[in-house]
Amino acid sequence: MAFAVFQPIQVLPRVSLSPGFAFTDQNGERLTNEDLRGKFVFYNFTYTGCQEPSCPDPGPGMRAIQEKMVDIDTGDIPVEFVTISFDPEHDTPEKLKAYAERLGADTSDWHFVTGDPTRLKNVIGGGFSTYYNQKDDGTFTFDPTFVIVDGWGIIRTKYKTAHPDLDIVERDMGLLMQELNNSEGASRIAYEAAHLFLCYPD
Amino acid sequence: MSEQTNPIEDPVVEEAQDQSAPVEGGLSEDAHLHIDKYESMWLKIAFIIMGVFFLSVIVSSFAIGIQLPGAYARIDPTTVNDPGSPFAEPGLRELAPGKYEAYYRAQIWQFTPREIHVPLGAEVSFYVTSQDVMHGFKISDTNVNVMVIPGQVSTLKHTFDKPGEYKIICHEYCGQLHHTMYAQIFVDEPTEEVASGAQN
Repeated sequence: MAFAVFQPIQVLPRVSLSPGFAFTDQNGERLTNEDLRGKFVFYNFTYTGCQEPSCPDPGPGMRAIQEKMVDIDTGDIPVEFVTISFDPEHDTPEKLKAYAERLGADTSDWHFVTGDPTRLKNVIGGGFSTYYNQKDDGTFTFDPTFVIVDGWGIIRTKYKTAHPDLDIVERDMGLLMQELNNSEGASRIAYEAAHLFLCYPD
Repeated sequence: MSEQTNPIEDPVVEEAQDQSAPVEGGLSEDAHLHIDKYESMWLKIAFIIMGVFFLSVIVSSFAIGIQLPGAYARIDPTTVNDPGSPFAEPGLRELAPGKYEAYYRAQIWQFTPREIHVPLGAEVSFYVTSQDVMHGFKISDTNVNVMVIPGQVSTLKHTFDKPGEYKIICHEYCGQLHHTMYAQIFVDEPTEEVASGAQN
């Protein structure tokens, strides 16, 4: 009870398992969810034809997170970024590369991927529960969404906005690191109790 | 023999003794007679039941991962109808084949949308919020039953594996026409046309 009321420890919820996938990145190479095990991964979903202001492109928001993450200490755990395009018809590797350049992305840890339309629907819609739909004119309507997946492949939080608040990103990464650093012995039990009593940040 | 071992083995008996008037000269046979055989049996059963319940809570939350529905997200009730808010044009959306999400806006005295159609076997995540007062959101014949609180998005998931009509009922008194506040979900069996279309 005291745990539920005072929330001495806060944790990020274990939302659900992230989906498995095998897509092709901007260099024509294969990227699977298994390649990203043991790493923190930020996902977002868009298509390169997305132009402000009619379309809320989450790309610049991801770039801002990538810049922010340089300053955030995640110990020896690498951080990767994955942008999944749901428009494989138009988004060839070249297009994705041009999109990455337009954003000024550091592509050493940021992958721009796409793949088979049915798989995309199952991964983005089914696995990440993010809605997108192609309109008759070929453009897409979608909910700009950012997802943080931890090293075990568990979805830990989602930001349903095109421009996530960097302070909240920093806080959430801090919570994840805190939980990781206390994952042994008695503190492990305390953190599990925090999960049990839903001690989640607002 | 039994007089000596029983008080140690049975904490219930010992406790009962402490509360009764202390008996001179230590344990006497009289102290035992205060606890009836059946009474002590039922006390034990009660403690065992409590233990089983406690264990099942631990197992269901840690091993099976069942958690109570909590506040999924907060929302300013005055912005519920703003463009860009998912509740401005609430309704059913298909995330992936067989997986749907449904946004519901509750207000006095109706739910929006009034009716939705989902195919048999669909897993639907419900997101519900209120733009005025507290409402209820109960889908008949299912486990879906949440309070709809202004400022908060309530969420629950349900898989519809029986065809037919389901009624969403407001079961939290919300004013004069509270009893008229309902919506419908139709779970459609796949027609032959759709079934063959899916295979193509």
